[in-house]
Amino acid sequence: MTSTTPTLVAAAAALNASKIYGKDDSEVRALDDVTVDFAEGQFTAIMGPSGSGKSTLMHCLAGLDTLTLGKVFIDGTDLSGLNDRELTVLRREQVGFIFQAYNLIPTLTALENITLPLDLGGVDIDQAWLNDVVRAVKLESRLTHRPSELSGGQQQRVAVARALASRPKIIFADEPTGNLDSRSGAEILAFMRHAVSDLGQTIVMVTHDPVAAAYADRVVFLADGKVVDEITSPTSEQVLDRMKKLGS
Amino acid sequence: MSSPVIRLTLRGVLARKFRIILTVFAIVSGVAFVSGAFMLTDSVKTAINSLFEELRGDIALEVRTPIAFGDEARAERDTVPAALVSGIAAVPGVSSVEINIIRESTIVKPNGKPLKTSGPAFGISWLGQDGLDGRTMLEGREARGPGEVAIDKASAKKANYVLGDTVTIVGPTGKGEFTLVGLTGTGDTSGGGGASVCAFDPATADAFLGAKGFADSIYVGLEKGASRSTVQKEIATLLTNKYEVIPGEQSAKETAGAINEIIDIFGKLLLGFAAISLFVSAFLIFNTFAIIISQRLRELALLRAIGASSRQIRLMILGEALIIGIIATGFGILGGVGVSKGITALFNATGAAFPSATITISARTILASLFVGIGVTVTAAMVPALRASKIPPVAAMRPEIGFTALQHSKRLIAGVATLLVGITLLCLGLFIQPGGAIGILGASGLGAILLFLGVASLSTSFAAPMSAAISRVLLFPLRPMTRSVAGRLASRNAQRTPRRTATTASALMIGLAMVSTVAVIAASVQKSFRDRLQGSVTADYFVTSDGFQGLPPAFGEKLAALPELGDVSPFRISTAQINGESKQIGAVNVEMGNIVNVKLASGNFASLGKGQILVHRDPARDLALSVGSSVAVTWQNGTTTPLTVGGIYNDSSIAGNWLVSLDVLSKASTAPPVDFFIGAIIADGFSIESARAAVDKVAEEFPSALVQDQAEFQKSQEDQLNQLLFIVYCLLVFAIGIAVLGIANTMALSVYERTREFGLLRAVGMSKRHLKRSVRWEAIIVSVFGATLGIAVGVPLGIAVSIALPESFVNGISIPFGTIVFVLLASIVVGIIAAIGPARRAAKLDVLEAISAI
Repeated sequence: MTSTTPTLVAAAAALNASKIYGKDDSEVRALDDVTVDFAEGQFTAIMGPSGSGKSTLMHCLAGLDTLTLGKVFIDGTDLSGLNDRELTVLRREQVGFIFQAYNLIPTLTALENITLPLDLGGVDIDQAWLNDVVRAVKLESRLTHRPSELSGGQQQRVAVARALASRPKIIFADEPTGNLDSRSGAEILAFMRHAVSDLGQTIVMVTHDPVAAAYADRVVFLADGKVVDEITSPTSEQVLDRMKKLGS
Repeated sequence: MSSPVIRLTLRGVLARKFRIILTVFAIVSGVAFVSGAFMLTDSVKTAINSLFEELRGDIALEVRTPIAFGDEARAERDTVPAALVSGIAAVPGVSSVEINIIRESTIVKPNGKPLKTSGPAFGISWLGQDGLDGRTMLEGREARGPGEVAIDKASAKKANYVLGDTVTIVGPTGKGEFTLVGLTGTGDTSGGGGASVCAFDPATADAFLGAKGFADSIYVGLEKGASRSTVQKEIATLLTNKYEVIPGEQSAKETAGAINEIIDIFGKLLLGFAAISLFVSAFLIFNTFAIIISQRLRELALLRAIGASSRQIRLMILGEALIIGIIATGFGILGGVGVSKGITALFNATGAAFPSATITISARTILASLFVGIGVTVTAAMVPALRASKIPPVAAMRPEIGFTALQHSKRLIAGVATLLVGITLLCLGLFIQPGGAIGILGASGLGAILLFLGVASLSTSFAAPMSAAISRVLLFPLRPMTRSVAGRLASRNAQRTPRRTATTASALMIGLAMVSTVAVIAASVQKSFRDRLQGSVTADYFVTSDGFQGLPPAFGEKLAALPELGDVSPFRISTAQINGESKQIGAVNVEMGNIVNVKLASGNFASLGKGQILVHRDPARDLALSVGSSVAVTWQNGTTTPLTVGGIYNDSSIAGNWLVSLDVLSKASTAPPVDFFIGAIIADGFSIESARAAVDKVAEEFPSALVQDQAEFQKSQEDQLNQLLFIVYCLLVFAIGIAVLGIANTMALSVYERTREFGLLRAVGMSKRHLKRSVRWEAIIVSVFGATLGIAVGVPLGIAVSIALPESFVNGISIPFGTIVFVLLASIVVGIIAAIGPARRAAKLDVLEAISAI
């Protein structure tokens, strides 16, 4: 299952990636020789039980954390060769993030949060694109509000808009619906699906919710730091079924 | 590029207004001291310079005796023959010539008592309206003959004299009676700037003031249109090279310069306190930023994750510091106006009579304030900012990683190194003393700063165990219930974040270390003074002047003539060069040997009477002098007296390093003599009461004389020291106040962070009172920790400084245990005060809301 060589044209890829904490007896392998790639224009879900290494994999792919062994690539660039400054630029320009919570800077308005990566990079804002994104996530009337004045669902929509605003190569989402009620969660997932199908975005999402995973084109399963299975065009029943097997 | 950084910075500041106000407040006081010091010196100097220009009136030229070396303004000048006046008056272009004689002369009130003045009591020679100094005629006319006098209007009013009255005046030659013919003023005031002034005509002044045909100097006024340089040259040709003729404003500048030096010293003192409060503020700023950063850990990590560079994070934090610094500096400059006005008012209230001045705010004042205010804030924020920029982006999702990244492992090594370098520098400065005063202050000052930083840094390591120990001691006397709940919580909380406890306590440590240092030095000085008084002084009476101008020799002569007194000797001080270096030489009678015990090592005191010189063992050793050696003493007028060493002595505490007889001095110099103090012993067969009555009777004629027996002398000296200490403590209170703010700040933050915990405690049944008490105890533990550190640093520092001080100040160490206990008790109060706000806030928390807080 781990035999495929990742294609360099993939939006993101991991090659024999290992992340090891501790030493000798207390050694913990959060990632154990993982090789996987994520094609451009696809919506991929990474699933697995707690402690399976799915978050670690995502953090390493996104350049937030470093591997102990192996390599990760974003758009063909080997991240292990980059210093902190280059990683920062890569995150700013090539990668978008949607976290479970604490997504927004509390002192900035919704619009300022959306354009923050662009502002930080000193990039001119493509106003037409920004308008499209804002319209897509239905935030037109909320742009001047501070995060504390927005509902949880609205806050996550701001985070989605921010991730889309810079048109990154790839967006990583870490349990984006974990803190939301099911209706707001469905809304967010629909936006992400829309971004992939209609806007050509690439998204990798870590989740443990089979319903969320069913929005994806492909689901990759992790257990004990290894890729153990995958499904394409999943339904939530299929996903639930696989998860049960992994759990047993 | 920088616009989002600026936006984030501004929003960051606005979001934390309260915390930032506290921080701003801390810096404001430091900047206020800095700008106040500059404003005070600038405005007082300007006022003094213009006052002296006014006082000099229209003196175009002044004839005086030059000095061979030393300070022009404070020089002891030989007199000038008054006879030169006629020659000078004949020089073409000269409009008027006036002799300048100033001697102590006291006005006696109609009831026979001398008129008390806040300044000196002068008798002068004055020509009246034609006179050249800044004196003005307010009523009547100038004195024109032997029986007439004009006095300043303010003194006349105080003594209840009107024109035509007969006024009794005590002058250097004795008592005289004069008809009051005129009332004078100075500039636009009716007084003499706190002094009383008796103005005589030149002949009367010469006789009554005992000038014997000589003047202190001669004033020359010019006709309109006359060239000053031509007249100056003309006069110079009349004079031998014993005298010089200088432009009038030159000596005005010299005198003003001497006063400016005193103002400068005062300004430097203020700057010293500014440095201390800024140093303490730096800890508070450091702490505030460290706190702000851990509060915003997730936010900062998020910024990093979505593409902020570590440089942008650093700039953002430093930008916040910059804004705080600018705001604080603005308020600080305003505060400086208050400081400088307040100090002027304070000094005027004690009778120092600073000239009233409009506050001058120069560009330099603003620049220095900005430099200091912004510099300190940004520097203190540097380390937290650096640390913030190292927060890994992944901490946005896993905050625990971020907190680990904020830890600092090399603290112990860095702390020990800083401490050792500090102690080394301090010892170098205090004991080896390289490069004179600047070297001493520079090395020991830098050493002290490093010492404080080292201890502050190391204190993190023992904050936890020491907090535990302190709480055990403090909580022991409490009821077991309290001890077990509120007390234990407080103690655990203080130990929970040792670094924060340590930084918070460090601010207080510095203030209290200063207090203990000063207390030890003061106690040692006092002890040394007492020992010296007991060991080396046998005088029954000390007479000193309560002004700055010393005592007229006539007083000592009158005392010597009293049958009730045995040995009497004045102590005069003169400046002279020995071996090319300027020295202070004491001149005394041979009787001084019985009044002060200088502890002769060789030779005898009587040799003084034979015109020989006595030398303290230190300069004797430096110059390889022994009994019989020759020393050449060059006085300020250029005269050199060859002297033979008649004795070497060990105790310089009162006598100084060099002693000659009054005879030697008066033969060498004709400068008007002034006695620094007079020592006297009661003659055999007279009671203390009768002797005192006789001395007091003589002293009545000399209002500036202060007669004291040993106990009174000791008390007055101690009072002076205590007054000085009081001022120093008052200024240190500012530093301690800033530290209190720091503790309040930290406590407020702890309460904020533990909202959930407090909610839980309240939910399971802790009362508001217990909760408050727990917060209060934590503040007390932190401040007692700070006080303990402060005493532990300050007492040894005080001992070191006391050892380093010259023997004439300190020759023994004394540790003021009372003060130390007081400081410890006061720190408990400090903790209670700092906890008022945070404790109230903790008690106000709504239980349900607190539990559901994230």
